[in-house]
Amino acid sequence: MTMKSILIWMSAGVIGAILGTISALLIAGLLPIGPKLGGAVAINNWTSDWSIGSEAANPYVRARVARHGLLALAKEEAVYFTRTTDDDGEPLREACAYRVKGATFPAEWWSITLYDGDSRLPMNDDERLSFDWTQANMAFGDGNEWLFDVRSAGLGDDTTPWVSSKNAGEFDLMLRLYRPSSELIAEPESTLTPPSIRRLSCDGDVS
Amino acid sequence: MRRWIVFVVITLASFVLFHMATLHFIPSTIMSAVQTRMAERGIPINQWNASPRMTPQTQTIVRPSPDLSYAICRFNLREGAVLISAPGWDGYGSLSVFDARTNNVLVTNLDGQSAGVLLYHPTKPPKQEGRYYVRTDEEAVAFSGEGVALIRRVAPTKAKHNEAAQLVDQSICSAVNWAP
Repeated sequence: MTMKSILIWMSAGVIGAILGTISALLIAGLLPIGPKLGGAVAINNWTSDWSIGSEAANPYVRARVARHGLLALAKEEAVYFTRTTDDDGEPLREACAYRVKGATFPAEWWSITLYDGDSRLPMNDDERLSFDWTQANMAFGDGNEWLFDVRSAGLGDDTTPWVSSKNAGEFDLMLRLYRPSSELIAEPESTLTPPSIRRLSCDGDVS
Repeated sequence: MRRWIVFVVITLASFVLFHMATLHFIPSTIMSAVQTRMAERGIPINQWNASPRMTPQTQTIVRPSPDLSYAICRFNLREGAVLISAPGWDGYGSLSVFDARTNNVLVTNLDGQSAGVLLYHPTKPPKQEGRYYVRTDEEAVAFSGEGVALIRRVAPTKAKHNEAAQLVDQSICSAVNWAP
C-alpha cells in the first residue's frame, strides 16, 4: 500500500462524508432548497404525510417534520396539508392576490395558516395570519361554502375575509384538520375536498 | 484499476454512513436545541408555561398556529415519575407528549373534560410488588429520558387566549415522589 493510495482512499472517505451529509440535510429540508412537509398523500396539490408524529415515520419524514413541523400531532389527532402552488401550478407569492374557496371539512375544527419560505409566520402587523372554522362559521354559517382572499394589503372595505401575505415572499398555506373523521384517515382522496386557490392578480399585471 | 474500484467503494460506504447518521441525529438534535432555547428563556423543568399568543413577533417554533393557545412543559424523569394533567376546555383542546426524538407518544382529549397521564421510567412501573408512586386515576405510560408536553386549545381571540392561559395554574407537570 503506497502513500498515494492511502491519500486517494482518504479523499474518497471525505468526499463520501461530505456528499452524504449534504444530501441528508437537503432531503431533510434543512437547506434553503429541498423538500418540506408532505408528499405521501396528495389531493389537488395539497400534500400531507400520515406518518407525521408517528414512530413509524421513516428517517426522511422524521427529519423534515423536526425541521418544518416540530411537535406535530399524529394523524388520529390532526392531519396537516400544505400547498405551495395556485390552481395553475404557479408558486404562491406575495406579489399576487389569491382567492381560497372551500367547504366544511370532515374534522372537529380546522384552520388555514400562511407561512413564509422559512416555515414562519410572515413578519407583519396585519393580524391576519389565518382563516379558521370560527371565522368561516361567523361569516358564512356552519356547513356552508366559505372563501377568503390572500393579499399583501387589504382593500379597505373588508367585505371579504383576507389573510395577509405581506413580507411572506414565496409562501405556502397549511390546512390543519383537528380530530379528522376515521373516513378521512382511511380514504383521504375520496373523503376530502380541499380548497381551491385561484390567482386573482399580480403586481405588474396590465388592467 | 483496483485502486479506483476501492475509491468508489469507500466513497459509497462513506456516503451511506454519513447520510444515515445525519438523518438519524437531526430530530434529537433539533429537539435538544429547542430544549436549550427554552431553558435559556427561563422555562424551568417540570413546570407548565403558558406561551404568549402566537404572532410573527412571538413565534418560537416553526409553524405555530395563531388560532391556538399553547402551554408547554419540558420534563425529564431524572427525579422519578412525572404527573402531567390539564383541565378541560370548551372547544377543541388536547394534551400531547413528545419524546426526545419528536415522536408524539401520547395525545388525549381536553374537550370539556380534564385529562392526565403518569409518565414512569420503564424500570420503575408505578405499581410493582405492591408498591406504587402515587395513587392516581391517570393513565400510566412508560417513558425514558426527557420530553415535552404540550397543551393546545382553540383560542382565536385575545380574550379566549387569556382565558386559556389562566388555566395553566390548574395544570400539573411535576415529579411524583416515591411513596412506598
